[in-house]
Amino acid sequence: MNSSRNSSSDSYNFKVVLLGEGCVGKTSLVLRYVEDKFNNNHISTIQASFLNKKLNVYGKRINLAIWDTAGQERFHALGPIYYRSSNGAVLVYDITDEDSFQKVKSWVKELRRMLGTEICLVIVGNKTDLEKDRHVTFEDAELYSNNVGAVYFETSAKLNQGVEDMFLKLTEKMMEAHEQKVAKSASLGRQNSQRANVLVVEDDQVEQPTRQCCGSS
Amino acid sequence: MPMCVLNLQRSYKYMMYATKQPSLRINQADLKCKNGCGFYGNADWNGYCSKCYRDHLGFEKQKKQGQAQLEKQKSNAFTKFEEKKKHQSDKKSKFLPLFRKPSNLKELEKPHRNSDLKHSNPDADKLMAEFMLTFGQLSESLRHDFFKYIQVFIKRIQTDINMNKPIEDVTEVAQKYYNTFNNGLNTSSTFKDLPSDVRDQLLDFFEKYVMTILFSSLFCPNSTNDEEKDLIIQERIRKLSWVNAHHLDCCISETSIEVRDLVYTAITDLLGMDSVKAPLDKLNCVVKCCRSVMEVLQHCQGGPASADEFLPALIFVVLKANPARLKSNILYVTRFCNDSRLMQGEAGYYFTNLCCAVSFIENLTAKSLNMAEEEFDAYMSGQITCVSAWESALVACEGMHQLRENLNILKDLSQRTTIVQEGSKMLREDIEKFKNELNETVSVVMERTPLVIKPRKSPISLNPHHEQSGGATDVSLRKHDFDQSEPENLNFYHQNLEIGHLNDYTKENLQLDITPCTLIAENASTISVEPTPEDHSHNSFGLSKINYDIDFSDFSGENSMVEDLTPERISLNVTPDPFGPLGTSSAIFQEPLVPLNTSLNVQEKTDSAKSKQQYVLPLVEKLETTLLDEDETDIQNLPSPMKPMSSYSGFSKQGLQIPSIPCNTGDISYLNAHSNASTSSKDDS
Repeated sequence: MNSSRNSSSDSYNFKVVLLGEGCVGKTSLVLRYVEDKFNNNHISTIQASFLNKKLNVYGKRINLAIWDTAGQERFHALGPIYYRSSNGAVLVYDITDEDSFQKVKSWVKELRRMLGTEICLVIVGNKTDLEKDRHVTFEDAELYSNNVGAVYFETSAKLNQGVEDMFLKLTEKMMEAHEQKVAKSASLGRQNSQRANVLVVEDDQVEQPTRQCCGSS
Repeated sequence: MPMCVLNLQRSYKYMMYATKQPSLRINQADLKCKNGCGFYGNADWNGYCSKCYRDHLGFEKQKKQGQAQLEKQKSNAFTKFEEKKKHQSDKKSKFLPLFRKPSNLKELEKPHRNSDLKHSNPDADKLMAEFMLTFGQLSESLRHDFFKYIQVFIKRIQTDINMNKPIEDVTEVAQKYYNTFNNGLNTSSTFKDLPSDVRDQLLDFFEKYVMTILFSSLFCPNSTNDEEKDLIIQERIRKLSWVNAHHLDCCISETSIEVRDLVYTAITDLLGMDSVKAPLDKLNCVVKCCRSVMEVLQHCQGGPASADEFLPALIFVVLKANPARLKSNILYVTRFCNDSRLMQGEAGYYFTNLCCAVSFIENLTAKSLNMAEEEFDAYMSGQITCVSAWESALVACEGMHQLRENLNILKDLSQRTTIVQEGSKMLREDIEKFKNELNETVSVVMERTPLVIKPRKSPISLNPHHEQSGGATDVSLRKHDFDQSEPENLNFYHQNLEIGHLNDYTKENLQLDITPCTLIAENASTISVEPTPEDHSHNSFGLSKINYDIDFSDFSGENSMVEDLTPERISLNVTPDPFGPLGTSSAIFQEPLVPLNTSLNVQEKTDSAKSKQQYVLPLVEKLETTLLDEDETDIQNLPSPMKPMSSYSGFSKQGLQIPSIPCNTGDISYLNAHSNASTSSKDDS
């Protein structure tokens, strides 16, 4: 949807939400990715809650809008407001903290229930630099991720391991999903083309202009 | 894709209810339409399903129309004249519904808005000027097309509003039109060649223009209960005023002055949201507010703030700001701001956070504050009225402010005290200096006095050597030859001699020798008793203030024991007098004497002396102690002078008659002699 507004055919806007418990390293992860810095003292931006990252993938200009979310349990209920209409979600947990992995599972369930397969999921086990304290095994996490249709990555924001790869993979997935969407809506558009001129306000009708826009992209 | 669009179009509706969905514990029945038609209801539609809600609206409308007619009928019962007038206004109202009774407000205002738009609108004018400024260089046809889009949009929305369509439908129409316009921008021949940033600008301006024009009918529309929601959230926030940064695990240090300033900036930005009209401008206010919050957080913790810190801080700001028409503003922005903008970019993110904050506040429970249920209830019911840190910080700030002010006052006071102390010290020194100077001059005068007297004697007395022998009678006899007119002068030389003798005495016994002063005092005393003011003129040399001392000296003067008394008397009464207020102390023991004399003058003066005393307390105290020691001797002597008092007044009268007092000569010695003469004459009588 976000990308649909962009007029030029080879640029995309994607919205990515960062979900996960507090203190699992969501902010560090995104700061490592966008600013390539870990230590808070050297970071120029005054905020790390909303960051833009421009990418070039397969000759397409991609703008990632990364939305950080409050991870505290008390704000869990606000999740839907954050992740609505997002193209991708990064679900972060701390490999040394079993509870944070359970939290990720609950997020996955919720996202799948609310957004279905519209959203591309990446599950990230962060803090691999603390391997000796690991409580969640790689195998478990990967198995779970495959089962829910998510990509699994292990990263270390501190050592800058896997962060770039993770976001790149997510971007590719989102592009893929978007292409599928476009194709689907194009076929839908053909089906509904005769209804395009009717002024009855229906949900399908609402899509109409969007569809045209997508078609142009 | 369709799912996505759906989410977008229903964004706010979805947003507000989505919060509850993860923990779905509501009965299915609760979600059904109130009419029981089997479809799902919606709180936005008063719990009806969409169809029932529309019916319900129609019914309400009819009811209101009925009411309006009733009112019309009522008014018809008025006098004929009024009826006529009413008819006229009714006729008018067909053209200008504005003048109709406000009973059915909804229908009234819309046509009014119509006319409002056609007439000059200050907002429109301003926007027009802005447009010309930004897009003035664009071609005529382009501008024409642009305003054609605008006119079409406004007309469509207005017809929809006039048809009383639910606001959701209007929203959909508006959002659709935004897209249409966007497509037009991208595809139509007039706009296609424009650079993309200009096209974006045009899109923004389009939204701004139409929304500013339509603001009054689209903001908080009558068909919704937005206003109620505003009141609910406002009340809720008011109830939650006790929530502080600590409750929210928010790192805002409420007591820091810089942080408070930043928080106030954020609050002001948020409050500003209500004062602008276009959704875009409202969004900008939110962005400004959130940036201030970010600054606060950077100030409080250093380093970039993540959402974990940002959201609690924003909630805190919203709680403390309690913005007017918060819900209406949020709903207005979600409905009529271009959805695509709301979904992405920084503005979208911050606005989403604001929605989250509001949602959190609405659904806030004891658990979300990590608080015991009972405690939370107690806070909410007002049982515990704990002063929140924010307020206490306000109080603390106030206290600090007061403290600082008081400290300043104290500092000022201490400064003034030192000045006063220095002044008093200087005064004391001056007094001491003056005392010494006076003593010196007096001693000089004293040295000179016998010399002065002698020449005086010499011209009078034919035999100076005779005088030396001290024969009082001889002198008086000679004096008699010299001046017969004044019988008082008979004893002049006798007295003079006495004084001379006295002077010697004082010189021997006292370091402080102020004989001339005593004498002056004596003179003054005689006058003080007199009621006529003329006498004072006689005393024009200005030492009259010593008057009250004189009674003493007089008594002693006429006393047979004059010579014994004089030493004490001199030191007692006279010493302090000439030096100003110090002498007032002498009045203390003079008071008992005064009543006998019954001279009001003296009393008044003692009063004034008393008042003077207040100013020189430290010095007076000192003097008093020294004086009191000497006082005893005086008091012992008092009974004896008492009796002559009555006769004394008579003498003073005689003293009045003395014309030869050379007041202005400054030659005290002469005066000396004269006053002595008066006292001596008293003896004679």
